Amino acid sequence: MHFTQEYSFEFKSRIAAKIMTAAPQSTGRELTSPPTDGISNIRFSNHSDNLLVSSWDKSVRLYDASANALRGEFMHGGAVLDCCFHDDSSGFTACADHTVRRLVFNQGREDILGRHDAPVRCIEYSYATGQVITGSWDKTLKCWDPRGASGQERSLIGTYTQPERVYSLSLVGNRLVVATAGRHVNVYDLRNMNQPEQRRESSLKYQTRCVRCYPNGTGYALSSVEGRVAMEFFDLSEAGQSKKYAFKCHRKSEAGRDIVYPVNSIAFHPIYGTFATGGCDGYVNVWDGNNKKRLYQYPKYPTSIAALSFSRDGRLLAVASSYTYEEGDKPHEPDAIFVRSVNEVEVKPKPKVLPNPAT
Amino acid sequence: MYDRHIDPSLHMETTCGSLMSELQKIWKEVGDPDEERDKMLFELEQQCLDAYRRRVDQASHCRAQLRQAIADSEAELACISATLGEQPVHIRQSFKSLKKELQAVMSGLEEMRRKQIERKNQFAEVLKQIHSTSNELRGSAEEYPYTIATEDGDLSLNRLEDLRNQLLSLQKEKSDRQKLVLGQLNSLKSLCIVVGTDYRLIIHEIHPTLDDSCGTKSISEDTIERLSATINRLKDVKIQRLQRLQGLATTMVELWNLMDTPVEEQKTFQNVTKNIAASEAEIIEPNILSLDFINHAETEVLRLQEMKSSKMKEVLLKKRSVLEDICRGAHIVVGEQISIDFSIETIEFGTIDPSYLLEQLEIHISKVKEEAFSRKEILEKVEKWLAACEEECWLEEYNRDDSRYNAGRGTHLMLKRAEKARALISKIPGMMETLKAKLKSWEKERGFEFSYDGVGLLSMLEKYCVLKQQKEQERQRQRDQKKLQGQLIAEQEALFGSKPCPSNSGKKNYRPSTGGVTDKRLSLGGAVLRNASTKKAGLSSHSHVKQQTSCSHNQSGFSTHSSVKNNISGGNSSNLQSLLIRKPLSPLSPNVDSANIQDQNVTSAELQDMQNAYKTPVESPMKNVSSFNESKTPKTMPITALETPPTASIKMQTVMTPATPFRTEDVEYSFEERRAGFIGPKPHLKSSLPLV
Repeated sequence: MHFTQEYSFEFKSRIAAKIMTAAPQSTGRELTSPPTDGISNIRFSNHSDNLLVSSWDKSVRLYDASANALRGEFMHGGAVLDCCFHDDSSGFTACADHTVRRLVFNQGREDILGRHDAPVRCIEYSYATGQVITGSWDKTLKCWDPRGASGQERSLIGTYTQPERVYSLSLVGNRLVVATAGRHVNVYDLRNMNQPEQRRESSLKYQTRCVRCYPNGTGYALSSVEGRVAMEFFDLSEAGQSKKYAFKCHRKSEAGRDIVYPVNSIAFHPIYGTFATGGCDGYVNVWDGNNKKRLYQYPKYPTSIAALSFSRDGRLLAVASSYTYEEGDKPHEPDAIFVRSVNEVEVKPKPKVLPNPAT
Repeated sequence: MYDRHIDPSLHMETTCGSLMSELQKIWKEVGDPDEERDKMLFELEQQCLDAYRRRVDQASHCRAQLRQAIADSEAELACISATLGEQPVHIRQSFKSLKKELQAVMSGLEEMRRKQIERKNQFAEVLKQIHSTSNELRGSAEEYPYTIATEDGDLSLNRLEDLRNQLLSLQKEKSDRQKLVLGQLNSLKSLCIVVGTDYRLIIHEIHPTLDDSCGTKSISEDTIERLSATINRLKDVKIQRLQRLQGLATTMVELWNLMDTPVEEQKTFQNVTKNIAASEAEIIEPNILSLDFINHAETEVLRLQEMKSSKMKEVLLKKRSVLEDICRGAHIVVGEQISIDFSIETIEFGTIDPSYLLEQLEIHISKVKEEAFSRKEILEKVEKWLAACEEECWLEEYNRDDSRYNAGRGTHLMLKRAEKARALISKIPGMMETLKAKLKSWEKERGFEFSYDGVGLLSMLEKYCVLKQQKEQERQRQRDQKKLQGQLIAEQEALFGSKPCPSNSGKKNYRPSTGGVTDKRLSLGGAVLRNASTKKAGLSSHSHVKQQTSCSHNQSGFSTHSSVKNNISGGNSSNLQSLLIRKPLSPLSPNVDSANIQDQNVTSAELQDMQNAYKTPVESPMKNVSSFNESKTPKTMPITALETPPTASIKMQTVMTPATPFRTEDVEYSFEERRAGFIGPKPHLKSSLPLV
């Protein structure tokens, strides 16, 4: 009897899947007046549907994603490699001219928080400590106090040497995960930055592209240039570490050859804890890390997915489709930002299939 | 001769006498008759009389005139004195002549007139002031009627005094009003500042002169009334807004407490909450009650509420998942016996009050927990029974395998398992009996059917019994058939002699060595593969499956690594470097050689171990292939690969990266570093090949 049950279920899901594929799928609404060069990061505000976008065209742009309107633009002295919100009316940027800036959107003001010795690759703002954390290719991490604007002496809280150039940062609560070149991963407690809480090596064998903490604070996901994502846990006990695993994604086989694409971006859904990955293959996949299932694949975007961001309520997903120079300077599709509304079935974890008693 | 000069009348008389005598002389000479002469004389006398009389008349007329003038002047004097309220001056004393009297009266009159004019001016002045003041008080701007004051007869000092007093009282009133207006303006200003409205605009609306820039302010009653009305209105507004703000502040603080909002975030709204218990009079801070400020606070409260509701939703969703977990654990169908709709849609749309929903959920969870507890004993038994059933199934399948007694690796384990399974199966009827008894008592106690994942457990047991019976019959039938066949063979042997058994030695290698899991995997599409793999000596069917998998969908990038291994064993190290270099995006050809296969073997073994360890639902790797890589299913596969739509949830390929990585360059750079032309301060040299 259970066999029949299973078959009918499978049959239904196949039919449903067929119907779904037959329906036209769109890439979402494209934002007007996108950056004119590669997009380095996009972020939704924690308070509204405002979207902050940093780009290689030296600009930082603020969009109202729901109204599809450009609300403001700042020009910097170099390519902007990362950006994040402070509150809804201000933000921070990491720039290739070694400078960390604070921007106040409605006044059009920009303050310099301080400088690194090399381009600043990534930036995060910690709501828990009120600090700005930047990672740079000068192999250091710096913490800043945004209130002491103008004057490095007053705003700089500390400089922490990293084993290699910093590639990606992620925060959850008081935990900070730093991924660097050479596949190093350092886990810090923001309350004690003197030394890393944990020093790790990436479980993946290739260069780290992106690291993002789980929203529940128990671990982090790390992606590499070789189409693979590792799911890691902070808990160092054997039971905790036994949960970790890695999986392959963003690959394509063509004429008997496998092409592996870098996984540029990971974004966790703020409510369900599922996550989206974006790769140089132009696909965005949604995964359920707990059940080890792929939940959804969005239709292909024109070029590499450079960045992803869920809005605060998880109802919108911003997708930056922008060539990330993985194959050097070559002709490529124009840079674009798509904002798509997220359907619940695309991101909601599906409960495990009930165990089959008869088999 | 006497001197004529001394006495002219005498002289005149003399002249008249001489003239008479001269006339008589003439007459005598002429010889006029006496009659004539008398007549002439009479005439002369008459003429003289006339001349005198005329003179006298004239003089008396003149005197009368003079007297009249005096009387007039005196009358006027008396009149002026009367209007001035003074005693009339009595000038009439004994004057020597009328002219002098007139002079005296005239001078007195002059004096009085001057006085009168002066008084009039005074009156005019006072009246004008009174008028202007009262005008100001009334707020009208009538023309000053100059004439009225002067035409009025009474110019007495008393009246002037009265008027002055009147003026004074008016002026006092005016200053009082000015003070009042100023006070009102001040309170209005402070109100305006607090409420955040334009003070100037408001006072300009009340009266244009109230603006500070003007010199005099309107102090009319109307203005005052309007001022106080405005003040009252603003006060009302202030109180209303204060109440609103305090309401907002209260909810804000409540929300903060509820959500543990960081102090830093709270600080920005401290000016909202600090007045939470202030009275109306205490609120003096500018703009603290302005609409902007209140709206600002309101948006914050809305934001917080939204946050709260989203958090509430989160809590609800969490609770719901807890409920689902419990239900799943207890094999109760979620939603069974739920009176309220706990579906995500309800939670999301918030049609039902979330707190109520939460309460209901809690109640329901506790109920379900209770039920789960009561079901526990039975469920344990069910689990045992199901495990036994599983073993039974396995045993059945195992028994069908003709080569099960062939010697090989792991055979003893299988035998042991079979033995155990048999023991377990023998216990099934007993298990079912106790289970049924328990179930019946449970159902009696509860009054409803015990359902296992929505299916009545009792009916499940019964179905199982029926199935078992059928199987038993089938087995009996097969046994009979076998017996028949044996008889047939024996007959044939008796006829034609014994025949060698068809060899199945090639098959023995494919027998599963790790347990039922792999067996099932192979059962799906394994037959063809088995045939294919028989051609390749030395390869176990197990590894062959893996090879297929790896060729088709596993990362063939690792084939490079294995070929590298080959190269190393061949001792060609210069060739090694070129082979090692692989850019992240370069496609790879599936270079299958024996080393590779072995390598992949390890990988797939790892995969299996992992899958077992993680207790993922059992699925064959072939299924994986068909679901993940639609086009890459090997041609030999009998299963037609269905195109996997993007919506179907798919198992992740949780495969560990098998080989160590190789650096394409001494220092690795990210795409961004390359693009930015960033070259590190010192090249980071990695330790050479981590292969051995």
